[in-house]
Amino acid sequence: MRLLACCYNDPEMQIDPDTVYPIRPDCRDDAPKTRFKPRPGLTLSPRRWKLLHNEEGCLDIAGMIKRVQRGGVHPTIKGEVWEFLLGCYDPKSTTEQRNQLRQQRRLEYEKLKTKCREMDTTVGSGRVITMPVITEDGQPIENPNSDGGTSVGSEQQTSGAPLPKEVIQWKLLLHQIGLDVNRTDRVLVYYESQENLARLWDILAVYSWIDKDIGYCQGMSDLCSPISIILEHEADAFWCFERLMRRVRGNFISTSTSIGVRAQLTTLSSIMKSVDPKLHEHLENLDGGEYLFAFRMLMVLFRREFSFVDTMYLWEVSCLDKISCFIVINVSNAYSPVVLEICVGLCMRHYCYNFKTLQLMWSMEYNPNLFSMLESDTGISRETTKDEGVLKQCGKFERKSLQAAKKDEIPLSIFVVASVLEARNKKLLVEAKGLDDVVKILNEITGSLDAKKACREALQIHEKYLNTVSFRFIHKS
Amino acid sequence: MASRRRMLLKVIILGDSGVGKTSLMNQYVNKRFSNQYKATIGADFLTKEVQIDDRLFTLQIWDTAGQERFQSLGVAFYRGADCCVLVYDVNVTKSFEKLNNWREEFLIQASPSDPENFPFVVLGNKIDVDGGNSRTVSEKKAKAWCASKGNIPYFETSAKEGFNVEAAFECIARNAIKNEPEEDMYLPDTIDVGGAGRQQRSSGCEC
Repeated sequence: MRLLACCYNDPEMQIDPDTVYPIRPDCRDDAPKTRFKPRPGLTLSPRRWKLLHNEEGCLDIAGMIKRVQRGGVHPTIKGEVWEFLLGCYDPKSTTEQRNQLRQQRRLEYEKLKTKCREMDTTVGSGRVITMPVITEDGQPIENPNSDGGTSVGSEQQTSGAPLPKEVIQWKLLLHQIGLDVNRTDRVLVYYESQENLARLWDILAVYSWIDKDIGYCQGMSDLCSPISIILEHEADAFWCFERLMRRVRGNFISTSTSIGVRAQLTTLSSIMKSVDPKLHEHLENLDGGEYLFAFRMLMVLFRREFSFVDTMYLWEVSCLDKISCFIVINVSNAYSPVVLEICVGLCMRHYCYNFKTLQLMWSMEYNPNLFSMLESDTGISRETTKDEGVLKQCGKFERKSLQAAKKDEIPLSIFVVASVLEARNKKLLVEAKGLDDVVKILNEITGSLDAKKACREALQIHEKYLNTVSFRFIHKS
Repeated sequence: MASRRRMLLKVIILGDSGVGKTSLMNQYVNKRFSNQYKATIGADFLTKEVQIDDRLFTLQIWDTAGQERFQSLGVAFYRGADCCVLVYDVNVTKSFEKLNNWREEFLIQASPSDPENFPFVVLGNKIDVDGGNSRTVSEKKAKAWCASKGNIPYFETSAKEGFNVEAAFECIARNAIKNEPEEDMYLPDTIDVGGAGRQQRSSGCEC
């Protein structure tokens, strides 16, 4: 009882998250309202966070998950917790091991940044490029009227030697990153500082150099911004963002005919078809069977639908599905694939309430990769080759898989979209006479969504979906 | 309700990232400008009721993402468009040079029945920047390109100041109406054929 009272009186929990990430006074009326509030005894507090580490600094990950799942993360410790949530560190590691790894990564980032600075001197200069600096065939573009913050400066450009293709590709992206950075979360006081804007630009510019398949795609600045804000050291923020991108980069890979996120939209379509056939049919009749109206929600993970603070809460909870996998893998790693396969069927129902279901299933398939993700350092090129290996494995598993149709894991985010649609089920059925009405109805909800409620309902749909799927499976076999 | 769809005019706004597509749409529909616009992801739209020659229409304006790699979404978004607005920034030469690419991509993806005569309108935006001292694309150059593409109407605008935006969108609406096959239109018996005829693209909609 005394403990509880102490919790409730904890001044740390009285904090209003909006004061940690203040909004410019002139933008307060337009910014979505925050609903999330740290809750004593539920939210992972700084004090509890400390207690979750043992003397060596090893983390009680299960304890952490329990808290985050119940009430999110206290604003002042978000950075440290997110590093674990996104898989930057092994929970079993000691403080010393993590410090070592952190130092290594900071050096690695410095190296990458130096390389980028050699290619364009704006990197690390505190400025941001917003005008094209190069033509498609590698000719530098002079910007006589650059708006003070831009520059072309690069030694290589004056040397006359043709630039390597990958350098041209990278330089072509720089102004796009700048244009978007200048439009990202500008309602926050944080971005009134040129230094903070330039930091976000630097992180994205360096990332676009190491991820050659994607480079930079619009939407990435929305994902990077919260991470850049909550992590104090730029290099730590970079690697945290890089981990997040591993999760979602599939959405951003584009070809001349399609863009990655459409695969998730297809999954959404099949989920809706099984959990709410009536609404699905209605949307199909309106030519919305492709669910393109949900494009933005999935691409920037609800950044535009929820307030800044609420999105972070939603992400924290969504992050858990992967973390939960690690624990279960630790247990299940000893079993043979055949046993695992049987387990999957059991787990589907058993873990329905704990975010673990499909993700759990999938992570079993991805077992070697997930382990190495935790264990290995973070070289991207190596990771890509590993991915290919994993993809092969996945193909092999697919034949035996319960859900032959599922080629990708189903992240919680898709179920959150489904829950948003379900919450407007009636309105969509009655009022939507065209796809434009659908977009309109969904736009109306912007800023009025409750992250916690959306999450809870997403889980219910998840459960319903799994029940439908497992029901079909039982009847098939 | 039955006539609702028929009175709808679908307009697509295309152009490079950061030229002011979202700002133009919001200035026209909501009569305001904000420095807080975010990059458009995918596509978004606003509607506005317009009265053209005593007839009421719903203008449905689709705002799109400027990064080229989103062009693959075009097939889905451009479907059924009545007019396409091409926007560039008069201070960024590259955004002007890309107009041709945007136009051609649109025609490929929207595949209108009569591509030769599909209505486009070109807007040169941000003429307010630095009192016009930083512009790199001249009006003459832009008009010459528009002339070479079948006399596309051309407007110089400032979404920030609200300059010429109303006039540009009136022209856009008139051109969209022309594109609607007449049997699809919800029109009273007194169709002002003469009025529509006077709005030849070569002569009408001059800024």
